[in-house]
Amino acid sequence: MKPFEERFTAWVDDQLTGPDLAAFEKELASHPEAAAERAEARKLGDLLREPPAPPLANADFFNHQLMQRIAAETPRPAEPAKARGWFWSLPRLALAGAACLLVAGGLFKTLIPSPAQAGEKSKYYAQVVEAWPGDETIWATTVYNPEDNVTVVWLDGLDYIPATYALR
Amino acid sequence: MSGSSNPLPKQAEPAAEGPDDLDLVARSQAGDTAAFSELVTRYRSRAFSMIYQMTRNEQDAWDLAQDGFVKAWKSIGRFRGQSSFYTWLYRILMNVTIDSLRRKHIANGTEFDDQIGLRQIEPGAVTAPRPEMQPAEKISDKEVRERIDQAIAKLSPEHRAAIVMREIDGLEYSEIAEHMDCSLGTVMSRLFYARKKLQALLKDVYETI
Repeated sequence: MKPFEERFTAWVDDQLTGPDLAAFEKELASHPEAAAERAEARKLGDLLREPPAPPLANADFFNHQLMQRIAAETPRPAEPAKARGWFWSLPRLALAGAACLLVAGGLFKTLIPSPAQAGEKSKYYAQVVEAWPGDETIWATTVYNPEDNVTVVWLDGLDYIPATYALR
Repeated sequence: MSGSSNPLPKQAEPAAEGPDDLDLVARSQAGDTAAFSELVTRYRSRAFSMIYQMTRNEQDAWDLAQDGFVKAWKSIGRFRGQSSFYTWLYRILMNVTIDSLRRKHIANGTEFDDQIGLRQIEPGAVTAPRPEMQPAEKISDKEVRERIDQAIAKLSPEHRAAIVMREIDGLEYSEIAEHMDCSLGTVMSRLFYARKKLQALLKDVYETI
């Protein structure tokens, strides 16, 4: 059998019916104050319900603040972190290293002549860097023939080459 | 047992327009914060009111309602639609509030003893009015609110929750038992002692208004 307080509470709240109600009301014959007690419990309920809770002030700000908290407390999607990790991953670093080596090799091959290339004869005319006769009335021109490997110096305005004149 | 005679609504009123709660829940579960904000808009006043009845403090009610909604957002993936959204939310809000009340009273070094003030009260005994209150005195609304606040503050979180769920929110015993994760007998016992204590503290108030 349930304790008295449980059955009394159910009786106050009109939750007892049928045989349970009849048995309890018979038991209450020895508690003449019970009816007054039930009336007081109901007055108490009315009292508790009477002053309504104050309205929620600044209701829109409530949502704003809440959404800010949710944004701050919700973990960001892992995708950007994953992409960043892939970028700096070992395969990516190896790929970057190989590309650097390729570029460096190309530059080396282009800019630094190989020993075999250095030994070959030039196919171009030799360039006489300085054709300066030392006399403004004489015009000097040079021509190189690679087939004969001969350089001709043409001096216009000079009747003959003095014995002391030397090509430097 | 028959149905409750309490006329208070227990479930959320359906929205007048717009998507229903389950649509908004499904979108929230997919990460749509705008949908969750719409749910908050629908239930924020009710949540605030319920928590206020427990805490009797507007700022605490605001903060705990925020905590409750954040917790609901974090766990909305586990909502399976076996009850209404508000029933599910109500349980979260109630648990957040009870936990807060427990922490606050532990921090304050106070401990509830629901038997204090009741040891002399026999079941069925008629409660006595406070001697300093004259029956003819009319109590102002402000004083009524203050007296209720003070009286409810003297209840343990569990007794507070039981009386608020029953008397103010109008829940059935079975619903209270489900929310508080206890038996029907425990619910009835908590209601009995909570009422006794409040009657002892507030009799002069409800006798004079």
